[in-house]
Amino acid sequence: MRKHFLALATALALSPCLMAQKIGVINSMSGPEAPIGENITNGIKLAEEDLKKKGIQVQLVWEDDTGKPQISMSAMEKLATRDNVAGVVGPYTSACSNAVAKLAEKYRVPLLIPAAAKEEITRQGLKHVFRMNAPADKYASSLIDAAASLGKPKSIAFIYENTDFGTSTTKTAKEYVAKKGIQVVADEPYPKGAADYRSTLAKVKSKNPDLVFMVSYVADAILLMRQSREVGLQPQAFLGAGAGFTTAEFAKEHAISENIISCTQWTNDVNWPGAKEFGARYKAKFGKEPTYHAACAYASMMIMAETAKKAGGDRAKTRDALKAGKWNGVMGEVQFADYEGFTNQNNHQMLVQQILSGNYETVLPAKFATKKAVYPFPKWK
Amino acid sequence: MAVFFQSLISGVLIGGVYALIGIGLTLIFGVMRVVNFAHGDIMMVGMYLTYLLFTLLGIDPFISVLISFPLMFFFGGFLQKVFINRVLNAVAQNQILLTIGLGLIMSNTVMLIFTSDYKILTTSYSSSTIQVGGGVSVSTPMLISFLITAAITAVLGWFLLKTDTGQAIRATAQDRDAAQLMGINVSRMSVIAFGLGAALAGTAGALISPTYYIFPQVGSTFTLKAFVITVLGGMGSVVGATLGGILIGITESMSAVYISSGWKDVVVFVLFLLVLLFKPSGLMGKSRT
Amino acid sequence: MNKTILKAVIGLIILAALLAVPRYVESPYALHMMILLFLSVSQGQSWNILGGYTGQYSVGHAAYFGVGAYTTMMLMYSKQVVPWVGVWVGVAIVIVVALVIGSICFRLRGPYFVLASIAVAEIMRLSAINLTTLTNGAEGILATEIPAFKIGERLVTDFSTKVPFYYIGIFLALFTIVITYWVQHSKLGYYFQAIREDQDAAHSLGIHITVYKNIGLVISAVLTSLAGAFYGIYVGFVDPPTVLGLDVSVQIMLICIIGGMGTIWGPVLGSLLLVPLSEALRSNMITEGLVKVGLVSADSRVGLFLKENLAHAHVLLYGVLVVLVILFMPEGLMGFAKKMALRRHREAV
Repeated sequence: MRKHFLALATALALSPCLMAQKIGVINSMSGPEAPIGENITNGIKLAEEDLKKKGIQVQLVWEDDTGKPQISMSAMEKLATRDNVAGVVGPYTSACSNAVAKLAEKYRVPLLIPAAAKEEITRQGLKHVFRMNAPADKYASSLIDAAASLGKPKSIAFIYENTDFGTSTTKTAKEYVAKKGIQVVADEPYPKGAADYRSTLAKVKSKNPDLVFMVSYVADAILLMRQSREVGLQPQAFLGAGAGFTTAEFAKEHAISENIISCTQWTNDVNWPGAKEFGARYKAKFGKEPTYHAACAYASMMIMAETAKKAGGDRAKTRDALKAGKWNGVMGEVQFADYEGFTNQNNHQMLVQQILSGNYETVLPAKFATKKAVYPFPKWK
Repeated sequence: MAVFFQSLISGVLIGGVYALIGIGLTLIFGVMRVVNFAHGDIMMVGMYLTYLLFTLLGIDPFISVLISFPLMFFFGGFLQKVFINRVLNAVAQNQILLTIGLGLIMSNTVMLIFTSDYKILTTSYSSSTIQVGGGVSVSTPMLISFLITAAITAVLGWFLLKTDTGQAIRATAQDRDAAQLMGINVSRMSVIAFGLGAALAGTAGALISPTYYIFPQVGSTFTLKAFVITVLGGMGSVVGATLGGILIGITESMSAVYISSGWKDVVVFVLFLLVLLFKPSGLMGKSRT
Repeated sequence: MNKTILKAVIGLIILAALLAVPRYVESPYALHMMILLFLSVSQGQSWNILGGYTGQYSVGHAAYFGVGAYTTMMLMYSKQVVPWVGVWVGVAIVIVVALVIGSICFRLRGPYFVLASIAVAEIMRLSAINLTTLTNGAEGILATEIPAFKIGERLVTDFSTKVPFYYIGIFLALFTIVITYWVQHSKLGYYFQAIREDQDAAHSLGIHITVYKNIGLVISAVLTSLAGAFYGIYVGFVDPPTVLGLDVSVQIMLICIIGGMGTIWGPVLGSLLLVPLSEALRSNMITEGLVKVGLVSADSRVGLFLKENLAHAHVLLYGVLVVLVILFMPEGLMGFAKKMALRRHREAV
């Protein structure tokens, strides 16, 4: 009797371990994209904790792609063929995500991309590739529609980093403004990390654009705004379409970040279930405010792990379950659908925010707005 | 017209910082014939030093130059004595690889300690400007750094021309063997020259930190620019490096406006090749390989 | 048995073993590592011709690598030109590019040559970013569908597994080694080495310096562009920093210098060290290995620190390795091995 009891107890004790889901993570943990990649790492770590509380054991296999697409591809090869993961969450950058997508399809591994903007990724009819965040075309349309609803802009200037992210996002935006009848008066790609944009900004200023649309990461965003102020660039609105315009560091630079309009996948005061708590918990644990990437990564890992568990770690079943599922969590309602030429794309609602009194306030769409937008951009002090 | 003057002025001001980096590099090359690929990374170390002094001790970046200059000097001296000295007589590519290796060690160690997070130094005057009229504005911190650069260059010039050590350095740069025969301790001159070069690079980093941002990989862009400047000015010529720095600053700034910000670096490199081909001794250099 | 015959037999056995690998090893990951190894050997050997034998230390070889990669990829992506034709278009273009670069750079000596070679590669990288109609700019070219290779009506391979790439890789690596061997033992090779040892003396002996430097450059550039084309179709993705960046040039040089310049097997040794080391560091294998063996406990402070940081630190270790080799083994691994062999020989006598 005792022997049987012991055996049963041991089996029960071991069973969670036997049921641990192996999930791969590809992220930029070192290299130039690391500062934002850190948010994804932390978001996933919080997800790991919450999954444990729900009784879902995950065994994460972390792969650092250092921001380079070819290393991302190596990482995916390893995860798919050597580590035999049930699914992969990541990568971070658009270039890496696009490169890995085809591999995921080839090896039939479900891939859930948390925060990459490049549209093309989910426009290739790939059945195993899923994306959590709204793609670049939404960045452009949310910002430009916001401006058009607040005023009557007729001209626009583009200033963007000449990387895949900057170029592809701007390309989408240019197509959108053509449809809206807004004229492009300046098109300035810059090499990332340049010290001095003053002459470029002076040139843009001389063209008198109504809108200035920028795609940059953090450091460039701050420099661009500082130097815009120096040069006296004064459009109706500054539209920040890159991650750089949505971080806490950017908002801290009060003199130059006030009244900048940006778009984001998530804010910590939006009323999606658990969003506020997530933001507070992240800040308490890691000492800084999360960017939207953290929330995207958190939600992605939660969804991937829960789905993999239900499917018993089987890749094909996981993929089908991801396609069929519906969730509602810190990223609001999530469903991976096929629409407008996209495959497995979550039709995510982007939020337009503006920095008011040093805080990010959601200003559009109206149903999530906490404050009213300030438009046009007030005169530099 | 305002655009022209704006870009001219910002070009000159950033050129001042470039010049400082170039002067450091040209001293090192002049005295030791070593192509220092870690120069930009040394500048990066100077930037982090400035950052620490600012955030931990509250010392203003411009004032902290008084502290960082000597510290970077010792750092440079250390690098020379322990590493560079061993390859002074080695083939060129070994020297280059060694300095590349040192640069990689510097930038990655800093990355491990401070993470890749961009650090921004915001002082009270970081965004302040002086309006020069006609819609042209001059960045106050850039102006201050330009003036400090001018002062340092003047002091350096005096040092090299009027002091014994300075003249000994110049003698070593001109002809190492002859200098040694004349009783100059050439290995000590090498240490001093590298120390000075490092101190100047570190200072350039300190001066640019109120208006730029700090991250571990910031060095590589500046290393390449420093080479262009030193060749343009003439390897070994301090005056040449100063002129070269300002010229490159203006070229960059103007190219960004009149050609495109995407192509401006190409213009600088093409200029570089033209100088290498038609006047390799540079603007101020004398012909010696 | 004669030493040469013994060496030849061992060589053939190793070769046969390598050729047989795909039959017995199924893991795509293992094949992938081998392919990276072959690629690295090809790159190192190509640089060796110009740098090791002719003494012209170019730090801008990414220019040729990139031309090879971009030409093949671009033709395949936008004009549906099959890569085994595109590759030769790339070779033709790279010969022209190399001659142009040579005419600019060979007028310069020593560090000036180095700087010029860097400037040229940077101009190409920046041009690739800006000439978007030609190269797709910063977005790069993503083309993973390779047309099937048929001879007549028979399908040879459809490139769906790594196996064809394995064989192309090994062939490319062997080809570069054979060329290096030929260069070392031919009259051409003697001219190259004469130029390397003392350019002016060689000139006074009647060797036409410019002609031979350019020949060395063209051979080196062609081999590098073949490696670039192979890289492009294998990885399926190229963008300016990946194939034209300064770190690519440095990497190519590193393989050869760490292994031993001017020797036939130097780049092979260099690759055997660097490729596995790089991957082991990047992918946490070392930490996992230490934990498994029991040297480090996974939860201890050392363990956690290693787990968090060793992957990030692989570039740091690269730098340390470079410094150590330059300071203590300037002739590379081959030079070190030769010294050891000589010492043992001396002690035996």
